[in-house]
Amino acid sequence: MLTRLRSLGATLFRRDRFESAMRDEMQFHLDAYADDLVAAGVPRQEADRRARVEFGGTERVKEECRQARGLRIVDELRQDVRYGWRSMSKAPAFTTAAVLSIALGIGANTAIFTLMDAVLLRSMPIRDPGELYFIGHDPGANASMSANYPMFERYRDAGIFGGVTVYDTRGQGFRVATEDGADTVDGQFVSGNYHAVLGVPIVLGRGFTSEQDRAASPDLVAVISDHYWARRFGRSPDVLGKTVTIRERKFTIVGVSAAAFYSLDPGVRADITLPISVRALDDKEFLDNHTGFISLRIVGRLRKGMRETQALAATDTVFHQYMSEPEQRWVYEGASKSFRAAALIPAARGTGDLRRQYTTPLNVLMGMVALVLLIGCANVANLLLARAAARSKEVAVRLGVGAGRARLVRQFLTESLLVALAGGALGLVLAFASARAIVSLFNVGPISVLLDVNPNATVLTFTTLVSVATGIAFGLVPALRATRIELSPALKENGGADAHGGRWTTGKTLVAGQLAICVVVIAVAGLLVRTLQNLKTLDAGFRKDHVLLYDVDTTAVGFSTERRPAFWAELVERVRARPGVVSASLSRRTPIDFSMEFRRIEVPGFQSKEGITGVSTNVVTPEYFATFGIGLLRGRGFTAQDHAQAPKVALVSAAMARFFYGDDDPIGRSFILGGGRLRDTWTIVGVIEDVRQERLRTSEPTRMVYTPLAQGTRGLDPRSDTLARLTVEIRTAGDSDQLTALATSARGDARALNKDAVVSYVRTMNEQIDAALIKENVLATLSTAFGALALILSAVGLYGVMAYGVARRTREIGIRLALGAARSTVLWQTLRDTFSVAATGIMTGIGGALLLAESVKVLLFGLEPRDPLTLVGSASILLVTTLLAGYLPARKAAAVDPMQALRTE
Amino acid sequence: MAKTADLLPGTLDLLILKAVSLKPLHGYGVLLRIQQISGNALEIPQGSLYPALYRLEHQGLITAEWGESDNKRKAKYYTVTTAGRRRLREETEGWRRLATAMAAALDATPDEV
Repeated sequence: MLTRLRSLGATLFRRDRFESAMRDEMQFHLDAYADDLVAAGVPRQEADRRARVEFGGTERVKEECRQARGLRIVDELRQDVRYGWRSMSKAPAFTTAAVLSIALGIGANTAIFTLMDAVLLRSMPIRDPGELYFIGHDPGANASMSANYPMFERYRDAGIFGGVTVYDTRGQGFRVATEDGADTVDGQFVSGNYHAVLGVPIVLGRGFTSEQDRAASPDLVAVISDHYWARRFGRSPDVLGKTVTIRERKFTIVGVSAAAFYSLDPGVRADITLPISVRALDDKEFLDNHTGFISLRIVGRLRKGMRETQALAATDTVFHQYMSEPEQRWVYEGASKSFRAAALIPAARGTGDLRRQYTTPLNVLMGMVALVLLIGCANVANLLLARAAARSKEVAVRLGVGAGRARLVRQFLTESLLVALAGGALGLVLAFASARAIVSLFNVGPISVLLDVNPNATVLTFTTLVSVATGIAFGLVPALRATRIELSPALKENGGADAHGGRWTTGKTLVAGQLAICVVVIAVAGLLVRTLQNLKTLDAGFRKDHVLLYDVDTTAVGFSTERRPAFWAELVERVRARPGVVSASLSRRTPIDFSMEFRRIEVPGFQSKEGITGVSTNVVTPEYFATFGIGLLRGRGFTAQDHAQAPKVALVSAAMARFFYGDDDPIGRSFILGGGRLRDTWTIVGVIEDVRQERLRTSEPTRMVYTPLAQGTRGLDPRSDTLARLTVEIRTAGDSDQLTALATSARGDARALNKDAVVSYVRTMNEQIDAALIKENVLATLSTAFGALALILSAVGLYGVMAYGVARRTREIGIRLALGAARSTVLWQTLRDTFSVAATGIMTGIGGALLLAESVKVLLFGLEPRDPLTLVGSASILLVTTLLAGYLPARKAAAVDPMQALRTE
Repeated sequence: MAKTADLLPGTLDLLILKAVSLKPLHGYGVLLRIQQISGNALEIPQGSLYPALYRLEHQGLITAEWGESDNKRKAKYYTVTTAGRRRLREETEGWRRLATAMAAALDATPDEV
């Protein structure tokens, strides 16, 4: 086989040489034979003639030789392509319609597949990614990767893996000093062996090489990303040895990582990587923190030849040993179901956060675009059927002169493949043009999701395969039908075979199928759009309109901690004095801001079946509730009298009161918040309304405890003082100009009080909600776009088939009109024909939607998958569209001029 | 001229292999050689020789190389490959068995039945 392919290849690539060699060889034969004949006494001329005659036709022999080399198929293919190209360029309207139908379908598919590839499929561009595993805990759905540094050291020292490393990417926005102020850059802290263990591709310089994270004076070195190298240093090769200043420390750049490597977290690009040892400079306990489990991630590389199960067994032993030590015991023996066993989570495609979140949405979108492509295919199939009818004479002639049917089918398939490939190429262009717009849908919130959606081999392969499959799918049936012709009638008549108008043709079946699929796509889009609306209009218990928020950070080195209380008080005063401000407050957290703060609570007299119980906590100034419009149900709110020296007081949410106190009056009761060094007793002075604090989609409201900012609390993280970073929230009278003015003055207000204050993420409450609804918004936006695409393609399909039907029946309609039929009757009959096709399609579609809607159930909020309103709405949209699309051909039918119609043909 | 026999299907390839296995030959030479070794009993239709040569070359059983003919002209010479030699051996055996069997069958007399 290989020999033959090579032989064919050699012949193909050196076709000229092959042909001339063949000519020479045969000429030699003729000459040699003629010479022999001359030698035997035949006259020269006669000898030449005999040689030629006995040899037979040289052209025929040459053709047989070519065939022996497997060239015939290639030649015919070339001929087919040339022929197909000619016939396509002779019918530009057909070609444009067909190519566009396919391009839109394939474009949508490629765009979604590009996203899938970036989020779900692509392996990390590091050495042997298949060998890497996150060492987390708890198998299956409960899997978590939280860890701490001592835990990493245990795994590293156990020697189970070929290498173990640890890193922390979560929320590391480094403020890098530049000539014009500070620049916030995403980064990560990694262990000294990170680059070596992962095999991170380095384009310039080196990765970290120090194995020692506990060095007393760590190396102040940094590795930067290719992106940052280009942005900040213009890819200058002498970047090595330059420094970046972060929090008054100068880090020497020792290397640049390759453009393809972002980080182990899909969607996150670590532009600056610093040694984890640096963290210990600011937080002495960081490397020895046993008690907490934080967002450190441990990654191990399997030894060559070691199986995952073996590694897991050994890892589990180390895990249990570590967790049963006194400091970790409380977690290990706690009532929750976590921290039960070690788990190895494949790291080849990075961490699963984005993947978990987007697997179902992307699958649903992929399903939708596949349906859109089917609609596009049906369009082209219809066009081809119509064209096949028009070409029946040509086919009959070709069959008549002895062309094989298989040969003709191949010719037709070549043409449909050409259409599909042209559509695929155009679709690819459309996909990459829209990919950036799609990615920007993800970047609404404070944390940007960076996805590499540039064309790559996987995506190109996908598109090529889909194009070829498409070409065969929509081309095969028309090709078979077109060549199944009874010769005599097609040759005799003028091609007007099926002249009966109301007949149910293949074309109509295809259109009904398109409409059915379209109903499904539009119904799903409707469900997703209404989910987004439900979430946006949901009464979450707090005001969303006319509220402006921004974060202020006072941790800069120049900002002394003693000045913080006065700074905050002055800032609020200053903001309150601005025109239009109704209320201004400070808080540690705001609703739906991605933050989590759950603390342990002990309520005297309360026994829980769940073991240790927790509540969600927030620290606020008294005006917080007025700003967000959260009402007081009982007791009193916070006042200025609840200062640092006053008794510690707390407000609780209705859900909290109900859960811990049942029907008893909670006012005046005390509880203990926190554990260990952080224990404090608080007395309840009031009950306030429930809000959705962490999530909009939640069945039961969060149990909340609020404490006054003035009375402080030590946070979960002992490093951060409560007053270090706060959010300012401002409610205005309702003029949007005031919001804009406040947003612009925010930075100035804070800077005027202290030049080291850093204001970030200025947003309205509605924008904050949008940032929490990225997934829903992506789904609603894209599914609406695909729904519209499906609708347009179906409408075009329906119009095409109906218009074609009318065109073929012009003569019949002409006769009917000549015999006295009213034009309105013709109009209504044609419309009725459209309506019956539409009704069949739409009814089937509703059935399909009822069956398929269940698969999007997990994505919905506030409505059922079989929501009748959505289904009726989708069906109505489609019905109106189809009748409009059908009206044009109907009017054309009614406008037929009988004389004209009878004269033609 | 001696009485010539028509070629049985499939035998042309075998004859070509045999001819070029004795000595590298150009196309015309193959023709002459087959006539010679078959005692002029087999006549090869000239036109079918070349497709057969190309087919065998395509299958990797013979290879071709340009060389100089006896009368100082450029000619394409065919040589048998290892795979071709193996094929020749196998087919020769098969052919012998068939020929013996056919001969035995056709020589059968009523007494032997």
